[in-house]
Amino acid sequence: MKRRGFMRKIVAGAVLLAAAALPYGLSPLLAPGRVAPRRNYLRPPGALKNDAAFVAACIGCGLCGEVCPPRCILFHARDGAVKVNTPYVDPEDKGCILCNKCMEVCPTEALIMTPRDKIDMGIAQIDRDACYPWVDKGICGACVSICPLGAKAITFKLWNQYRPVILDGCVGCGLCVEVCPHPSVPIWVIDRTSESRAEQTV
Amino acid sequence: MSSSRHIPFFLWRHLNKLRWIVLSIVFAMLVLLPFLHVYQTYRAAHAYDLLSPSERQLYDVMEALSAPFTDDPTEDLDAVKGNTWSGTFWGLKLSDPLAALGQAAAGHTLYWPFLLTAFIPIAVTAVFGRIFCGWLCPATFLYELNTNFAAWLSWAGLKIGDRHFDKRLKYAVLGLGLVLSAVSGSVMVAAVYPPAIIGREIYYAIALGGFGAGTVFFVGTLLFDLLVARRGFCRYLCPGGALYSLIGRYRVVRIRRIVENCNDCAKCNAVCEFDLDPLRDGFGQECNNCTACIAVCPTDAMTFTLRPTDHPAQGPGHLGRRYRDEQEAEHEPLANGNGVA
Repeated sequence: MKRRGFMRKIVAGAVLLAAAALPYGLSPLLAPGRVAPRRNYLRPPGALKNDAAFVAACIGCGLCGEVCPPRCILFHARDGAVKVNTPYVDPEDKGCILCNKCMEVCPTEALIMTPRDKIDMGIAQIDRDACYPWVDKGICGACVSICPLGAKAITFKLWNQYRPVILDGCVGCGLCVEVCPHPSVPIWVIDRTSESRAEQTV
Repeated sequence: MSSSRHIPFFLWRHLNKLRWIVLSIVFAMLVLLPFLHVYQTYRAAHAYDLLSPSERQLYDVMEALSAPFTDDPTEDLDAVKGNTWSGTFWGLKLSDPLAALGQAAAGHTLYWPFLLTAFIPIAVTAVFGRIFCGWLCPATFLYELNTNFAAWLSWAGLKIGDRHFDKRLKYAVLGLGLVLSAVSGSVMVAAVYPPAIIGREIYYAIALGGFGAGTVFFVGTLLFDLLVARRGFCRYLCPGGALYSLIGRYRVVRIRRIVENCNDCAKCNAVCEFDLDPLRDGFGQECNNCTACIAVCPTDAMTFTLRPTDHPAQGPGHLGRRYRDEQEAEHEPLANGNGVA
């Protein structure tokens, strides 16, 4: 009898909880035209390229974030399922300055010390149908001037013509994405092996 | 008889205060470090003129706090980073043994540079037992405050949880957590281990602008402790506590009861957060040497001892009524036999 009362309490609690959570579950479905903000989830520099291996190696201690000078390393704090508490870099928020501190401090093999030009967070890609110089809407060159790797990673297509072109030396730090002044940010970082890259390279 | 009583070293009963100071310092550091990091980021960006008034206030306070100890805050403040789950102190990396075990299970590999960072904690645990739980764990700080809060509620007449479960449950949680980590390829134990949760959630809240999902879990454990079982998560569920108990099973530094001084008042059993039985010499592998029983003992009957096992049950305390009755029952016939004359 006592056990039955206990079970009834549990069921009642579950029903109450479900009722309380219902509005939160329904609101995204009912809100018209609500688009989830676009997020980039780059792994910090020196991360294992196999993301499953990275998730297995990362213990979620947050040290990489705690030493990051620009605080560009964020964490899957409320999302990510099995990736929960693992770090990511969203270059639209802040790009990585390739300072190596996170690789030095990481206690596990999740982030391994990597020389700067061997880092592979991805590779930048430019939408030539939007970028201001590419559509002749003026001169810019913000991405080229911020690039920490210089002419190995990004350059102008022709001298004195402000059309940026990504080269193979790009490590995907995302500083160009951070500084891009275009409201729709026509530069982003994609996976190096991605198919969509071919159509954009020189 | 009272002249031959062994009185423990007088400082032992003050260790509980020292423990609270240590717990407070650890927790305060977990709050301070994210603020210092935020300050470092402002500093690195040379952004003072761009800061909002509140950010500028943070900058000023952190600058005042750190200036006496640092030349170049952006570099020097990196000396102490992290939390109790994994941290670095002037280049010395220390990690929780549970992190090492969970990571090895999740990745199916042994990465020695990481596993070695858990060596010092394991060695300390082998000597002092589950000492992390009582002396360092930032969750213990909040759980013990929660216990006090429960006591206040109870004085106010509200009913608080007093259920008891099987303490071996946490070993099952540890095993299940490791199996799930191995199967899912993600360090699952990190998501249900309160000290790891607290360390990162404080960082998320201060530096990244909001608590994460772990906070919900932690508040759940607080409610569990309040409404279901006193200190229930640590006693029955914590996977890290289970691991520390196993490592510290044959710890050398133990608390022992001095049976000659004991009067069976059972205050030690009442104060024990882990539901152990100091009154009957039942410390076992789960004692965390928190010294609360030493501090509370009115007759100086608790002290430290150096041996890898508990003293076996020593019977009722010699200052207690039960011992006196037993002695009388034994000696009365003897006295009669001899004849009072």
